[in-house]
Amino acid sequence: MTSAPSTAPQPAEPLLALEGINTFYGPVQVHFDLSLKVGRGHIVCLLGGNASGKSTTMKIILGLVKPASGSVHFAGQPITGLPTPQIVRRGVGSVPEARRLFGEMSVRENLLMGAFTRKDQRAVAQDLDRVLGLFPKLAERLTQRAGTLSGGEQQMVAMARALMGRPSMICMDEPTMGLSPLWVDRVLDLIATINREGVTVFMVEQNASLALEIAHHAYVLQTGRIVLDGPAATLRTDPRIRDAYLGGQDAG
Amino acid sequence: MSANTSFLEVRGLTRRFGGLTAVNNVDLDLAEGEFLSIIGPNGAGKTTLFNLMTGHDDPDGGTVTFMGRDITRLSPERLAALGIARTFQHGRVFANLSVMDNVLVGAHVRFKAVRPAWPFPLNLLGPVAEVALALIRPPSVVAEEQRMREEALKILSRFGDRLLPRLDNPTYSLSYANRRRVEIGRALALGPKLLLLDEPTAGMNQTETAEMQALIGDLKKSGLTILLIEHKLDMVMQLSDRVVVMDNGTVIANGKPAEVRNDPAVIEAYLGHRRADRPEASVPEAAQ
Amino acid sequence: MSSWIDYTINGIIIGNIYALLAVGLALIFGVSRLINFAHGSVYVVGAYAGFVAVTQLGTPLPLTIVIVVAVGALLGLGIERFGLRPLQGYAHIAPLLATIGLSFVLDQLVQLTFSPDPRALPSELLERRFQVGSGTIGALDILIAAVGIGSAALLYYFLRFTRLGWAIRATAQDRDAAQQMGVDVNAVNRAVFAIASALGAVSGLLVGMYYNYIDPAMSFQATLKGVVAQVVGGVGNVPGAIAGSMLLGIVESYGIALFGTSYRNLFAFILLVLVLVLRPNGLFASRRQTPPEPMTGTFIAPSKPIQISYPVLIGIAVVMALLPLVLPNPYVLQTLTNAWLYGLLGLSLTLIAGTVGLISLGHAALLAIGGYASALLSLDLGMPVGASILLAGVIAAAIGTILVFPSFRLRGHYFSIATLAIGEIVSLVILNWESVTRGPIGVAGIPPLSIFGFELDTDRSIYWFALAVLVILAALQFRLLGSHLGRTLRAMRDDDIAARSYGIGLDRYKALAFSVGSFAAGVSGGITSHLYSYINHETFNSQLSILALTIVILGGMGNVTGAILGSVLLVGLPEVFRVAAEYRVLIYGLVLLLLVRFRPQGLLGTI
Repeated sequence: MTSAPSTAPQPAEPLLALEGINTFYGPVQVHFDLSLKVGRGHIVCLLGGNASGKSTTMKIILGLVKPASGSVHFAGQPITGLPTPQIVRRGVGSVPEARRLFGEMSVRENLLMGAFTRKDQRAVAQDLDRVLGLFPKLAERLTQRAGTLSGGEQQMVAMARALMGRPSMICMDEPTMGLSPLWVDRVLDLIATINREGVTVFMVEQNASLALEIAHHAYVLQTGRIVLDGPAATLRTDPRIRDAYLGGQDAG
Repeated sequence: MSANTSFLEVRGLTRRFGGLTAVNNVDLDLAEGEFLSIIGPNGAGKTTLFNLMTGHDDPDGGTVTFMGRDITRLSPERLAALGIARTFQHGRVFANLSVMDNVLVGAHVRFKAVRPAWPFPLNLLGPVAEVALALIRPPSVVAEEQRMREEALKILSRFGDRLLPRLDNPTYSLSYANRRRVEIGRALALGPKLLLLDEPTAGMNQTETAEMQALIGDLKKSGLTILLIEHKLDMVMQLSDRVVVMDNGTVIANGKPAEVRNDPAVIEAYLGHRRADRPEASVPEAAQ
Repeated sequence: MSSWIDYTINGIIIGNIYALLAVGLALIFGVSRLINFAHGSVYVVGAYAGFVAVTQLGTPLPLTIVIVVAVGALLGLGIERFGLRPLQGYAHIAPLLATIGLSFVLDQLVQLTFSPDPRALPSELLERRFQVGSGTIGALDILIAAVGIGSAALLYYFLRFTRLGWAIRATAQDRDAAQQMGVDVNAVNRAVFAIASALGAVSGLLVGMYYNYIDPAMSFQATLKGVVAQVVGGVGNVPGAIAGSMLLGIVESYGIALFGTSYRNLFAFILLVLVLVLRPNGLFASRRQTPPEPMTGTFIAPSKPIQISYPVLIGIAVVMALLPLVLPNPYVLQTLTNAWLYGLLGLSLTLIAGTVGLISLGHAALLAIGGYASALLSLDLGMPVGASILLAGVIAAAIGTILVFPSFRLRGHYFSIATLAIGEIVSLVILNWESVTRGPIGVAGIPPLSIFGFELDTDRSIYWFALAVLVILAALQFRLLGSHLGRTLRAMRDDDIAARSYGIGLDRYKALAFSVGSFAAGVSGGITSHLYSYINHETFNSQLSILALTIVILGGMGNVTGAILGSVLLVGLPEVFRVAAEYRVLIYGLVLLLLVRFRPQGLLGTI
């Protein structure tokens, strides 16, 4: 294990806090009084099966979906209901589900789009070098159209793009979805690396076993409710995780 | 139909989107009266498979045979005429139509009096005849409409008093669970030989799910052949005769619910694999 | 063959002008998924801004261009503000309808300010020509080419190398992802409308100088040409729009060379319909696309329709029938007769656009087919007038349905554009098919209305005749909607994917509804031709199509009573208040704009 983190409890002053969120899509309620916290410098993952409301949680944080009630605080400030660009400007980076690269633009242009909110062109150039150091594969592909890359390479571009904004926190929505096992490992290693550089990571993940290896803390979401949460190290061996996904024999 | 031919037979079905193979060489068999569920994590290709089987998308390869007849690439309307009914992932009712009208549209293919089956070239005048019959309404047409309405009431009474008091309400005004019920009612009105259910309880709470599960259980008991895509595995395990598990576009397991449930490949597909087998320190050369 | 060089050069020059329009439309579609029907108005405003600058202020050309760019950009911001931004989250067709309303308003304002008469836009460049091989090229040709190529180069640089350019491309490719990079997509929209409109305005100026001729009616044709070029090149594709424009310019130029000027637009619209039906992603798209997320392109706002019981409706009809006895005022009767005839058109469109959800923008063509059919049958074949009107309805149903049938597979916007083009094609065929239609001269001396040999020569008898036809057809439509066909058609509109899964063959039922609807429109056109006694290819123009749509939306889509009410209000009220003709179109535009924004379900509600 390269990155088994400490089992430190969640710090009192979280970077991100969701409080009493209720969300609806039309008449369907997606979240039921959802609350969670992400400690500064931590990797926190939100686990859950299909249609549990994971991705919607991500959209709430990024301001793409507005909750019916409840609040989102980032770095102590309320960000509930702010438009997405403003939330991004406050230091929230995003690695969207299915990567969502700008397929017709080059890898380089994609990376620089990540720094769209920044005006300091020299620092951006330095960061580009730094990020390419982190993802050496991408350096060879800078001029290629992003849409022509393989899934794993696209995931790297998406993560590098998010880093280019110098966020204090990155939201990752299913970063390992649709990747081959080799790439899954690589991507998770990179997430741990990014985190060691001081970036807080909040990730939504279906691949529970691997996510728990790199995370500090985890929440398990089931049909819009947190049914389990705790330090990743203890959850790793908790049989209730499996039940949450596969439906336990005795699960109520 | 000979005994060794299956009711529904899928062979080598494949669909690619750009570089991604969403459904990869899938085989599937379904016997008459069987209840088969397809499960798998997000992006496994279940819905694409469903779309291929219901005529909403064309495969890049493979065949689908229904009751001994090749139905690959047939349009949805032809499949409906053959007795295949489906529901949709997010519940697609006709929002501005009343509950009754939704169910009657489900019976569309069974209306014969308003659509005389004329041979070519007379059938080109079919639409004209249909308009004329709709305007004139001879006794046969009136009787048929009456019969279908009575049948629709019978179907709707399966849902207790959930829908009966709301027959004339437009479905956009119904609760989500009720709309999903209307959708099932509409499917039953087709008089299906094969019923395809795409996540019938998605977005429902536990009580509603239990109620829907009981209803689907009744349908199963009535001998209907059912193919179910569902995420609520409790329900799948209890209802299914057999479960097929998909991951990355392929079938990774196929068997009785209990077998599938403890299949390590299935557990891995859902929970992800552990990497105890991997050597340490493979963090990319980088980053210091 | 020097003339061929001239035709080629001419084609490329015209192509450049179209490109300035089409690139703007493509940019706008890219970031907002809107086909901006007010783009032609920007072009006209640009031309008139140039006219004012040159003739009133005496500005030199470079300054004129700067003024035109500024006016165009400001206008673009206004269109974004009123046509697009308030309608975020509405049905996809809503902003399109709003821009149609805006274009009516803008065109009419130009017309009211400068009169509908054409003006000259003088330019000293016009006379200068240079010898090139065996042909000649004018200084203005060179200017247009330079502006076209220069704008393309500037745009390329802007999109490739500037922050805002990147934001535009990113937004066009993935709006959500762009927002997650911190891009303010509303600011991007504004920028794109400003740029696109500046280009469109310059295009108007150049055309005005090229032909030394401007008039407010150029607007609609300009929009259409821009849309054609864009669709041919692939909607939203900027390089494709340029290529499509060049292709369109050259096809038109050669078409004129081979067949004469009056065929120019015919080629453009046939090209459009062919591309839409055969290659809906444009000539340059090759990939097999992922099937698009099912989206019904309809404009149906869930609402509780106001129920009016049959006895009440019958009562109103009786009162209307008795009206001429109580109030024998010829002016009122003529106005209401007119309203009944538009009501027939409304019945037709409310069935097609409302009940089935096929937003037709070329509905006046059905009036034209019916009008010509009845006129020619009675005049040339000596058919009795009543029978000719009935047969005109059948002919309109048959021809209309056959023409539109290939477009039934198109969704949302694309169907609307196809019907718009088909409407233009019908009008151009009427203009050019002289042996049958008498071409530009029109059909004169059409026999007056009569039934069973009794001539209807009083205002009263004509009123009763029109009312009777309307009541009969409305009653039939009620009966149709109450049958299994009513729910079948509405099911298709609400969700065509689900409808197909329950055995509803879309083509069959769309054709069926379109025929029934076209019959009413054809009858209306037929009656109108006998009332007017003279018709030509412009009698049933495209403004009528938009008026029909406004009537239908005002009454409530799919609502039979609503269509008649809408017609009485929109056709009758301006008469009652004696609104001058030139303000009426302005009112129609405003009504459309306000309806889309504030009451999409109409007065009586969608059914």
